[in-house]
Amino acid sequence: MTFYSPVLTNAKEIAGHDKLHLFEFVEDEKQYQLKRYLKHGGYAAWKTVLGKMKPEEVIEEVKKSGLRGRGGAGFPTGMKWSFVPKDSPKERYLCCNADESEPGTCKDRVLMERDPHVVIEGMAIGAYAIGCHLMFCYIRGEFHHCIERIEKATEEAYSKGHLGKNIYGSGYDLEMIIHTGAGAYMCGEETGLLNSIEGEKGMARIRPPFPAIEGLWECPTIVNNVESLAAVPHIINRGADWYRSMGTEKSAGTKLFSLSGHINRPGNYEVELGFSLQKLIYDSNYGNGISDGKKLKAVIPGGVSTPFLTPDKVDVPLDYESLTEAGSMLGSGGVIVLHEDTCIVWTILKLIKFFRHESCGKCTPCREGTGWLEQIIQKIEDGRGGPDDLEKLDSICGNILGRTICPLGDAAVMPIQSTLKDWRDEWLYHIEHKKCLVKQDFGF
Amino acid sequence: MSEVVKEKITAVDTVTCTIDGQQITVPRGTSVFDAAGQIGIVIPAFCNHAKLKPVGACRMCYVEIEKMPKLQVSCATMATDGMVVSTNSQQVREGRKAVIEFTLINHPLDCPTCDKGGECDLQDLTFDHGYDDSRFGFDKMRFIEEEKRDTFDDLKIGPEIVLNRNRCILCYKCVRANKEAFGEYDIGAFERGDLTEINATPGGEVSNPFSGNLVEICPVGALTNSDWRYKIRVWLTKTVPSICNFSGSGTNITFYKEDHKNFVYRVTSRCNDAIDDGWLSDITRYGYQIVNSESRLKTPLIKKGGKQVKASWDEALAVIKKHMGQIKDQSGGVCIGGLISPSLDNASLYSFSKLFRTVFKSNNIDFRGDYRYLPSVTDSLFTIAASQPFSISDIEKSDVIITFGTDLIREHHNEYLKIRRAVNFYNSTVYSVNPYAVKTADIAKSEMVYSPGTDELVINGICLVAIEKKLVNSSAAAKLKSKISKLSPGVLAKLTGLSKEQFEELAEAISSAKKVTFIVGEIVARSLDRDKICAALSNLNKLFGVQDKGQLAVLSRYANSKGAQKLGLSATPYEIVKDELKKIWGEYPDCQPRNTDAMINLMKKEEIKGFITVGANPMRLYPDRSFASEGLEHVDFLVACDMFETETTELADVVLPLCSWAEYDGDYINLEGKVQTGKQAIKPKYESKAAFEIMELIARQLGAKLFENEQVKNEEIEKLLKLDSVLPWPDDFLKIEYEKKSSQDGYPVPLFICDDPHHSGHLTEKSPSLLNFSDSAYVELSKGLAAKIGVADGDPLRVESPVGKIVVPAKISPVLNSDVAIIPRNFSSTQTTSLLMRKKRVDSVKLTRVEE
Repeated sequence: MTFYSPVLTNAKEIAGHDKLHLFEFVEDEKQYQLKRYLKHGGYAAWKTVLGKMKPEEVIEEVKKSGLRGRGGAGFPTGMKWSFVPKDSPKERYLCCNADESEPGTCKDRVLMERDPHVVIEGMAIGAYAIGCHLMFCYIRGEFHHCIERIEKATEEAYSKGHLGKNIYGSGYDLEMIIHTGAGAYMCGEETGLLNSIEGEKGMARIRPPFPAIEGLWECPTIVNNVESLAAVPHIINRGADWYRSMGTEKSAGTKLFSLSGHINRPGNYEVELGFSLQKLIYDSNYGNGISDGKKLKAVIPGGVSTPFLTPDKVDVPLDYESLTEAGSMLGSGGVIVLHEDTCIVWTILKLIKFFRHESCGKCTPCREGTGWLEQIIQKIEDGRGGPDDLEKLDSICGNILGRTICPLGDAAVMPIQSTLKDWRDEWLYHIEHKKCLVKQDFGF
Repeated sequence: MSEVVKEKITAVDTVTCTIDGQQITVPRGTSVFDAAGQIGIVIPAFCNHAKLKPVGACRMCYVEIEKMPKLQVSCATMATDGMVVSTNSQQVREGRKAVIEFTLINHPLDCPTCDKGGECDLQDLTFDHGYDDSRFGFDKMRFIEEEKRDTFDDLKIGPEIVLNRNRCILCYKCVRANKEAFGEYDIGAFERGDLTEINATPGGEVSNPFSGNLVEICPVGALTNSDWRYKIRVWLTKTVPSICNFSGSGTNITFYKEDHKNFVYRVTSRCNDAIDDGWLSDITRYGYQIVNSESRLKTPLIKKGGKQVKASWDEALAVIKKHMGQIKDQSGGVCIGGLISPSLDNASLYSFSKLFRTVFKSNNIDFRGDYRYLPSVTDSLFTIAASQPFSISDIEKSDVIITFGTDLIREHHNEYLKIRRAVNFYNSTVYSVNPYAVKTADIAKSEMVYSPGTDELVINGICLVAIEKKLVNSSAAAKLKSKISKLSPGVLAKLTGLSKEQFEELAEAISSAKKVTFIVGEIVARSLDRDKICAALSNLNKLFGVQDKGQLAVLSRYANSKGAQKLGLSATPYEIVKDELKKIWGEYPDCQPRNTDAMINLMKKEEIKGFITVGANPMRLYPDRSFASEGLEHVDFLVACDMFETETTELADVVLPLCSWAEYDGDYINLEGKVQTGKQAIKPKYESKAAFEIMELIARQLGAKLFENEQVKNEEIEKLLKLDSVLPWPDDFLKIEYEKKSSQDGYPVPLFICDDPHHSGHLTEKSPSLLNFSDSAYVELSKGLAAKIGVADGDPLRVESPVGKIVVPAKISPVLNSDVAIIPRNFSSTQTTSLLMRKKRVDSVKLTRVEE
């Protein structure tokens, strides 16, 4: 086995492609080494930036490219960088959010394991753009292999002068700290991540102030996803216009999708934004159809925080706007496919157990509400549901949605709400018949 | 936020918004919650606290804001121009209902057995905003200690605090207050989601000197203290406003009392923003327990056949009449002296002074019984420095705060917290300059630890470097330079153990500051060379113009030190006070004034034959026990008034039971010069009397009368309080002589005797709660020194000075980083002042391990 995580990618297809780029070298077993990375044009962008560009020009270029945050929220990256106050006398920090924990998502992991230098280079360019001299890479604690690879790559980068003091003789200093998480989903939320780096409990902070104004130790801080940062060197090398030429007007560039669930070819695929979800699932180069020849029941398009899509909505372009229109979200790109034998109540129970477990416990609705929801859903799943339980679920979800400090509360209830709407018959069947509509041999 | 910025905000930068139809203009940065509060609209909340940063955790304070689709938490939403807020719309009411419902699903309904019942935020807000019934229908989540199987889940997490995790609604106020206001980390949140629990840090306990506040701010009955638990229901008590009797700042408190039992049940804060922000030290909170103590002196005692026996007031007064009368008639009133505690109220202090000066016609009085070798002159530089104006609320307005010669957490709790607040909320910069590392240093930009006994050299160093770097007015610089330039900054640096860069840092800080607070504390006040240090401070003040842009003062340590000074309780009062007294009384004794030190000396020579102590305990607190005891044992007739039997009352011929401050109305002047009243909470316990009553009774026994009635007394006091009590600094720069002091051979470790962070003076050891925190003496030393001596935490250690020897356990300090020993003076079980020599600049000791 060549890789620690043997995830299928579409690197081969990308190799001959003039646009797709993130996965170009991820099947190259030596790409993680600096030598190979340099051979593939690595750190050229970093040299260009330090040698020829002012920080504002970098921000402008990234703004022009239309790159949007790939962690889930889709906020324009260049604009985020420009929020750092220019005249602030405080230190500035850049954090790479490598705490990839959204169930169904495993794209950052592949990048970090197989092409760690591109992440470091992207971070460095971002740091330069905002005037930061100390950057953090916050890596999920369970990603042992990622941590090892990023650490090794950082060492190499330091030893060859890509990081450290007076980089390439430009007079610019940049240090990097690798900070590992301890297993909390919450720390993938940017303010939870900042608290964790500061040594506090991983709990969300109230916004405003936004991290770009007051983040780490009350200093301006930018938190970017691994994938967003990995795209930056390519944008610098090939130009904003090139990047813009991919994707749709409002969702420029390419995106990594992690396809999993009841699918014949689960894997990580880089496609241009606006790619058809239908094609991603059924095309033989990608998902190659539903496993066991079953019928499709539902798709979770952007990690388990996003509302479920019914089969009639699957013919949708994968970009930020289209998915919002379809009633869901692009999210982190974790596409989970469910076939006809999947019980919706059972699936939702799994999800709410996860969210209850991962609720940080800071604000009341999420802390208490997720536990209550789990108990009701468990009751329904066990065949003990009562006639008023669905209304109760509606009401509790409504009392959590939009009422919490961070998006975790919304993430916990949006999938429930979408299934209560689109699969209400299945929920009712569970309550009325005390058994599952789909699982014929379901014993209570 | 610097003062300038703050002023700018109040002057220019305001916003106008509409809340429930009412327009209001508030400074930018005001939360919607606070803005609503200003027009009397109370928004319900659990986690919001006026003195802490908002976290928006409880979600109870929802409001609806136009153009915002979601409900917003008003505590963390800042008011902006044109904002239209509704605090009571349908959506808001539903939002609150939902929060109450969520909060209650795992909260036990044990109100009938919960101590918080009757003053519980959750109870009140459920009544106002909650549903009538529950939709929950599952078992509540329960924390149960496995071995205990106790449904109440009461965990003792500190000497005083009991935690019930089931009741906790996770507002995080305790954790936040501990961190933001007190700088302590002994309580925390653990686990996550609905399993989140508040608890003491693993292996530790919640025992910081401010831990009582956590109980007070808990919105439910999750944190309770053994002080109040299961003793009484809050609605059966009445509240009485009063003042803390253990601190110089006069923290405002509320007594909770019950009349039938004539008992005080607890003390809580009475937030006065100008003084205390509503935080109390544990000494203030639990110190009141001495009022209820069973061991109080219940009746007068008189010495019969070498033994003290119970007596009636009449008998006791008759004995006093006989002996004091005799001394007065035969040897003259000048052979009578007295020492009073500066924690007593104005009336008591003034009556004491009047008794001595008009009845005994003696000038032998003092209120500073725990300071070594005080000079007997009025205008000593120390007295001047101690008389300087000081404002507590200006601390947080200062951009630069310097704490010099003060271990705030042992001396001035309230100012300690104010400084933390200044740093955490107003971005002030603190410099901690002390002869040993102190707790304040954790928020200081720089901590500078100088060699004990070189205080004035540090100040000289700062001045000289400022002159060298041209940071100050050049003509002033030239004048000062001629007086103090004998030792160069380099030499001073060497002598003080600091560096020139450190002098420079301080000089830069003071000269560039917009507003300075320069706090001088007990380490200077207790020093033998306090006048020399204050002379250096006088120079510094003049050179930098510190007081022109801020404040510099030696802070008063006790509840009414300022009052004692204003009412002329020192042997040599301020001239204007003396003149006023002459006017009021029509007389003033012209005999030699004698302070504590001089009086004790005269006792030895048998020139002082009669002595009265009121609330003072020189036998414990005078910083040279053998000197004090030799004196007091020689006194022919000693009258001691106190609440308890003390080392001093033991020697007395007559002992009179004194009231506590909770038992009568009294006025106290805090370190800012602010007069505050402590109201009577309960009737005097047992046969105790207030000091002013006792003074009047003694006067009448001797055929005199202090006051016709109370009104006369108050008028006389009023006249004195009107006088300006700030003494001017000398006009010129002062020369400061440097004497080379050799350290005592064989006693290498400098010693500081001070208060334990949980105790104050000699009375608090009668508070059971405070004893739970700390109940006996110890010697605190740094990790390095402990290693050198070869002791571990808790090992017995022999502490020897040239004059005394004690054996106490070692306590390894997390703060200290140099070779010093710190020993508390608060416990009768170890007479720690026996190690001290009154004429030494720096006491030093030898520490040796006690071999088993």
